[in-house]
Formats: sequence, structure tokens, C-alpha cells
Amino acid sequence: MKTATITLVLGLAAIGAGCTTTLERSRNLADPHVSAKTLAQQVCSNCHGIDGNSVSPNFPKLAAQQEEYLVAQLNQFKSHRREDPEGFEYMWGISRRLTDDQIKGLAAYFSAQKSVTPGPGNPKLIAEGKKIFDSGLPAQGVPPCSTCHGDQGQGNGQFPRVAYQHSDYVIKQLTVFQRTNERPDGVAMKAITHSLSDQNMAAVAAYMQQMPAK
Amino acid sequence: MQKDTRRLPRTQGACAPTGVAAAILALRTVGKLFAGRLITATVAAAALGPLLLVLAPQQAQALPAFARQTGQNCVACHAGGQFPELTPYGRMFKLTGYTIGERSLPLSMMGVLTANKAKVSDPAVGKPNDGSLIFNTGSVFIAGKISDRVGGFAQITYNNYDSQNPDTGAWAGHAGSDNLDIRYADHLIDANRDLVYGFTLHNNPGMQDVFNSTPAWGYGVVPGSTGAGNGATPMLDGGLGQQVAGIGAYAYWNKMLYAELTGYRTGNGMFSFMTQGNGTQNFIKGTNPYVRLALTKEWGPHNAMIGLTHLDVRQYTDQTDFSGPTDHYRDNSIDAQYQYLLDPYTVTATVTRIHETIDYGTIGQPADSVNSMRAKASFIYQAKYGASLSHFNMTNSMGLESKGWTPEVFWTPVQYVRLGMQYTSFNKNEGVVDPRDPTLMLNGKDNNTLFFYVWGAY
Repeated sequence: MKTATITLVLGLAAIGAGCTTTLERSRNLADPHVSAKTLAQQVCSNCHGIDGNSVSPNFPKLAAQQEEYLVAQLNQFKSHRREDPEGFEYMWGISRRLTDDQIKGLAAYFSAQKSVTPGPGNPKLIAEGKKIFDSGLPAQGVPPCSTCHGDQGQGNGQFPRVAYQHSDYVIKQLTVFQRTNERPDGVAMKAITHSLSDQNMAAVAAYMQQMPAK
Repeated sequence: MQKDTRRLPRTQGACAPTGVAAAILALRTVGKLFAGRLITATVAAAALGPLLLVLAPQQAQALPAFARQTGQNCVACHAGGQFPELTPYGRMFKLTGYTIGERSLPLSMMGVLTANKAKVSDPAVGKPNDGSLIFNTGSVFIAGKISDRVGGFAQITYNNYDSQNPDTGAWAGHAGSDNLDIRYADHLIDANRDLVYGFTLHNNPGMQDVFNSTPAWGYGVVPGSTGAGNGATPMLDGGLGQQVAGIGAYAYWNKMLYAELTGYRTGNGMFSFMTQGNGTQNFIKGTNPYVRLALTKEWGPHNAMIGLTHLDVRQYTDQTDFSGPTDHYRDNSIDAQYQYLLDPYTVTATVTRIHETIDYGTIGQPADSVNSMRAKASFIYQAKYGASLSHFNMTNSMGLESKGWTPEVFWTPVQYVRLGMQYTSFNKNEGVVDPRDPTLMLNGKDNNTLFFYVWGAY
């Protein structure tokens, strides 16, 4: 019993120590004093990876993503303007109390990371995707992706980086743009994706996953 | 969620905590309202599903206390929304002490309506096995983030069919403490290191684990389900549930290696709040060790784990004599799980093998061995439509063996509610007396059971 008492007291002491605010490694999403870097490490990294290179294609790679685009997306999650299922299931809650400074800090953190490809794809599909990316599909009224996303897929401000993005994630988002109005701030993509077939999407996504980027 | 009652007879214990008395009264009323037969259950389900769809918000920021705390949906932490099985993120949420998010109202409720129809039902048992739709259990959870590094959950469960009066056959309900886990956790992570470490205080060996192949979370988890029938299960499979207090330390390194060391002692004295209302206290000697090692790997939409567990327990042979001999239980387990998580598909497969040896304190009593083999595979589409198949094979030297298969289909119309139907087909289920002729034992197939449930939480 004596040992148990000592153990319990030590346990309660540890819990007591834990009750103090520890901004350095906090996972508190409602405290404006927690730095963006801490939130990125303690919370975001669980799905997106410590360096923004997520392992699971359920979660987009954020490494080297355009800072302006990341700020816009976090604000759209926070305001519920972006409502694709994975967006509201995961990100509405994560973003609901983030301050403007934290959002800017998170965008800066991930945009500064080095992106690496998730892995190779089907060479035939990749070649087909490269054609669409570079030249579009004129007969279907689809412009080249490179026009806005850059010739290396590096993105530009509000236009996201697509190089090294998970192909499954790209397909999912192209489908959201084409078939829903769940991302109203990306309405331009609705017209662009209008006539893309599933095969077209798979091809361009395969290319983006392994394409060279600056 | 329900404790194993094999090792000790269940008797009326302490009164329900007054804080949940009103909830229990309400739950009892619901139970009476839903009394009926299996056909009624199916009809009720057909009516209930659309009703729930109308009543429940489609894009709510989720269910119980944890979902309110993170603002995320159930699918973030539970694979395909199939509570209680966890996703990699759900595992990290638990390992980091349930502290992601913000403090919010730390209360949740859970209720389970069930209907069990055994092929040969025992009239003396009545509603729990004759196909009647009954209110089975209701729980109140106190759960959530306490501070930046401390969080936990405590569950109090009311079992509407807890014990049966041997004279009148009437069932009596009862409330008691259920699973409890309070943690302190820290996460040291930057570009060069990733180490989660923490301490846990809990009351059921294995419930602190984060993998779906542990008995506490992976098999027969729907309250009232048939499980492994009458087969003897090892200590590691709920044998000490809500009977002990465990204090453990754990670490998870580089999302690759999980290690834990926990010591269990009798949950009495100052720890009795963790075991109240669960019948006669089970007394074990001193501190009893539990060691857990697991290797994990995540690649693309896949993740896998293989693990080992050892539990060593000395239980007093005479539960009233603490200077006497002990029965020595040694459990060794190997388990593995695989998950494929890529919207809209969720696939989970688990396998768990436990071997237990029991050396009795009574001189001359031969040792026993207990083996448990369980496996389960599930597939879920759009976090709504699911099917699973599980297998159990309990072998032992006690003449209490069981073997069978349980296919299941389930539907999660909204993230708070799951409706399911299971059918357990027994190849063997020893030790069950034939209610038609008490001098005979039922054969395995006579125990085949159809099980329907509605499982909701808020």
C-alpha cells in the first residue's frame, strides 16, 4: 500500500505539472499564444508530416506549397467556404480558432519545406499526363495546366503547387471541382475540369506526382 | 466495453453514482419502450434509420467529447467511422494524451439497443436471448483534454440486464465504472527526432493500447454481441477489466517502435473509484507486470503493425486469504494488424494469438493452458456501409472450448449511430447446458446466434 500511495502521489504530481501551460509543445488549437511552428509540429505533422511530405495520400503534401495558397485554404476551412468532405471532416475543426498570425505562420512553415516525390507511377500514364499538363486537350477545351501552375508544377501565388502531389489526392480534388460546388473559390477549375475523363484525371495526376519541380 | 464475467461471479455491488442516476432512469425507460421481438427490431431499424438521417446534422462538428474538442468528425480518429477502431491519427490522438484541440464540455453518452436470437434459447434467460429488442447498456463518458499534456476518459456503464433473480427470473440493471484511462503525454518532435512518451493510469489491461488487434478494442466490441461464446478466454482478454489499477509508462519512437511497461494491482482502497460497481473485487498479489512491444510501418494508404504482449498475474487462490497461495497466470500474445485507408474505402485486418498458462496455488492441482486465436477483417465504403468477418478459436485444457465465425453487416447512417446485424456460427461451444434437458449439453450449432444492434453515442 505504501508503494501504491507513493506511486499515486507521484502520478498526481506529474498530472499537476502537466496542468501548467506549456506553450513550447502545446497541442492547444484555441490558444493564440501557441506558435505556428509548435502547432505544425504537434498537430499538423500527425497527418501532413513534420516536413509537409505526408505519407498517406488521404492528406495533401504541403511541402513547398505556395504560401498564399495555404493561407487562402486555411481561411476557407475556417469560414467553411471550402466544404469538400475531407475538408470539413478534418480541417474545419483544426482551423476554427486559428488566428491570422498563426495561419500565416503555418503557411510560411510548410512553404519553406523541401518537397519530395511520393514515388513513381505508371510510365505510360505519366507520358499521357505530361501531354495534358503541357499542352492541354484542345479538342475538349482543356487548357494546359502549366499555364497557371507553372511549367514545373511549382505553382504561383494563389495557384497551388502540384508537383510531387499525391496522385490520389489530385484525382480526388479534380473530381470535387468537376462534380461539386464544394470549393467555390476554385470555381475556375470547374470549367477547366468539365470535360476531363477519369482517364485524363488519372494521367495528369500520375504526372504531377513525379514531375520535375524547381 | 463490457467486462468479462467468466472468472468471478457477478453480484450486486455499490449503488450507481448519483451523478448518473437521472441518465440511468432515462435509459431504463428507453429500454422498456423498446421491448419487442427481433422482427420488431428490424422494423424499428427500418423506421429509425431515415428518422435519424432527418434528425441528425449532416455536417456537424461531430460526436462525443473528443470530437467537440478537436472539431473533427469521427472518421478522423476511427477507421471508416467504425468506432472504436483507430486510424493512425486516432492512435496519435490517444498517445498524446487526448490533448489535441481545445477544452470543451467533457461529457458524452452512449446507448445500445440489441436483440439476440439463439437457435436454442433458454426460456429462463428470457429477453436477452429470445430475440427481443432490449435496451442493453447505456454509458456516460467524462472525456477530454485537461491541460496541454493531460487528458483522459472515464466511462460509467449501466447494464440493463446485469443480474437475474434466481427465484423470479427477473432481470435487474446495475451501473458501474467501465474503462478509464488518464494520461500525461509529451511529444518531442522536430526535423531530427520524433518521440512520444507518456504515463497512463487505467483499469483494464490492454485498453490503454492503440491498436485494433488488442482484445479490448478489436473483437466482440459491440456491447451484447456473442463474442467467443462460452469459450474460456485468457486474462489478457478482459479477465481483469475494471478490477485493477494499472500505472504504466510508454514511448513511441519515430512512428516505428512502441514500447510500454505497466504494473497492475488490485483496484481497491484509493483506486476503488476505478472498479466500483463491478461486483466482487478480484484480488491480485502485489504489482503485476505487463510489457508491450510493437513495430509499426506506414506507406502510402497502408499501415501495419506487429506486436508482442506479456502479462504476468498472481491472483489469490482464496480471495479472502491474502497470506495464502496464488494462481499464476502468464499470458503471451502476438498480434498484427493491417489497414488500408483511402477515401472512400477502409479495410482493416487483425489477427491475435494469445497463449496462457495457469499454475494453481492449490497443491496437486494440475496446470491449465488457455489458447485464444482471433482474427477479423472488415471493409467499409464511404464510412457508411460496412461488412466484416471474424473468426475465433478458443482451445484450452478446461473443457471450455469454442470455435466459430461471425459475419456482420453494418450501416452508419450518421456518424453517431451504427446499425448492424451479426450471425455467429459455432463449430463448437462447450459447457452450455441444454435448456430442454438439463442432463445434456448443447452442441455447437445449437448456440448459433443472430444479433442485431443499434449503437449510438452523443
